[in-house]
Amino acid sequence: MVQATVPSMGTRADSMQTFTDLYKYRFILGNLVSKELKAQYRNMSLGFLWALLNPLVLIVVLSVAWTVFLEAPPSFPSMVIVALIPYNFFTYCLAGCSMSIVGNVSLVKKVRFPRQILPISVICTHLIHFAIQSTLVVLALIVFTPPHDIVSVHLLWLPVLVVIEIGLVTGIGLLVAGLNVVYRDVQYIVESILTILFWVSPVLWSAGPTSPLERFPDWVYYAYFLNPLSGLLEGFRSVLYFGTSPDLITLGMSVAMTFILGYWGVKSFWKQEREFADLL
Amino acid sequence: MPAIRVENVSKGYRLVKQKPFLAKEFLRRILQRPSSAGYFMALKDVSFEVPKGESLAVIGTNGSGKSTLLSLIAQTSYPTQGTIDVRGRIGPLLELGAGFHPDLTGHENIYLNASLMGLSREEIDARLDAIVTYADIGEFLDAPIATYSTGMQARLGFAVLAHVEPDVLIVDEALSVGDGGFRQKCEKTMREMLARGTTLFLVSHDMSQVRELCKRALWLHKGEMRMLGPTEEVVHEYLNTWLIHTAEADGPGDSPVDGDAG
Repeated sequence: MVQATVPSMGTRADSMQTFTDLYKYRFILGNLVSKELKAQYRNMSLGFLWALLNPLVLIVVLSVAWTVFLEAPPSFPSMVIVALIPYNFFTYCLAGCSMSIVGNVSLVKKVRFPRQILPISVICTHLIHFAIQSTLVVLALIVFTPPHDIVSVHLLWLPVLVVIEIGLVTGIGLLVAGLNVVYRDVQYIVESILTILFWVSPVLWSAGPTSPLERFPDWVYYAYFLNPLSGLLEGFRSVLYFGTSPDLITLGMSVAMTFILGYWGVKSFWKQEREFADLL
Repeated sequence: MPAIRVENVSKGYRLVKQKPFLAKEFLRRILQRPSSAGYFMALKDVSFEVPKGESLAVIGTNGSGKSTLLSLIAQTSYPTQGTIDVRGRIGPLLELGAGFHPDLTGHENIYLNASLMGLSREEIDARLDAIVTYADIGEFLDAPIATYSTGMQARLGFAVLAHVEPDVLIVDEALSVGDGGFRQKCEKTMREMLARGTTLFLVSHDMSQVRELCKRALWLHKGEMRMLGPTEEVVHEYLNTWLIHTAEADGPGDSPVDGDAG
């Protein structure tokens, strides 16, 4: 019953509009992203360098602790960081998305604009951090050279992997953004799950021949790849560390999970969306 | 064609005793316990129309459903029953300072706020000078909002709203925060907007403001329409009822004059 000039609030039928609206409202989206970036970095003299500090500290710790004391191979820091930076992007996005609606009460209650812009602006913001942090990956690969030559045609997989990851965080991001309005413990559940994910995903270790997974029966190996991050992070590692193409079966499982979670996320978001203003 | 058409609208809220938690909800479903949530009707079968360029005031005591009606008109929440049709761009007056980010400059906040209300970059570029002149914040334009006084934030907020040129202007209690001069300036601007064809939807406890700005008034009582008609008659009846009521019962706690929007 609303004229076309008014932003669509999305009836349940228009799941695709979740994304087509983004182009129409790209100016709002851009403003929200630049708001986040400016607000985050304006008051800091080092500015964007702060985005690098956290992963930089971790590389230093890894290279000192693991390679010096635990006698890991000298390329160990680069093996970790090629998965750590994509993992960081994943966690920052989900932590941010879960707060994206409940953290903007006054806007959501008063102004009518497509609500999916809020979680998606969080993802866009962290995509920029992701790009900045990627310079560390390059740096690490130069300093701690991997044992295999990685400069090859397989590098073309990188944009594909990034797109899959964006799809994955968008689906889960919409899911937790909407659910957290109705159930306020969702943000804590997300935090706990992310902590667990850090250890069950191949960040500090790899599912290769010497991995801890070898000690378990086969089904553990497959269950492990039900975690959509596993295939994805292993994919990043194959391309950037082992210089091969990703394992298509495990990456395929990640893609399948991305679609399942994406469908669930979009549906759930629009179901909760009808009550956003009532519940905040 | 009316600017706002509200037809048999009812709005119910789930009445929850405490915030629901996902973990608890899972447990409840597993144990198959019935939900404890009740239902509360905040608006019951409300119908009215506001023609383009007209103004309607909504009055009523706390808890009468005014804010609920406001959020329905602003289209931020959905009616449980009935239909609401609002034509054109909606300009909600945010609580002063809300919607502004304290770390961003006035200039950046103008773009953020105006874009949320539906303006394109070109439209904001064209209006920027007028907004800055109206807000009268001078060299503070490039300083973070956090350094603004409350009055300056209020002026900037209203300046953006006035220049968004909404087809339907929604004003809650927000105006009561500014000083006398600011309020007069706002009211003058609102009258100018009305003259240009903007439709005004005002929720207020300030009867003099209601009389000044609105031709018609709607009196809500416990979610139901008590009276709809010319402002003078409705306000007169409303105040009379309350005078009698307070004389009889010696004040049931919610006086018609003060308090926040219901």
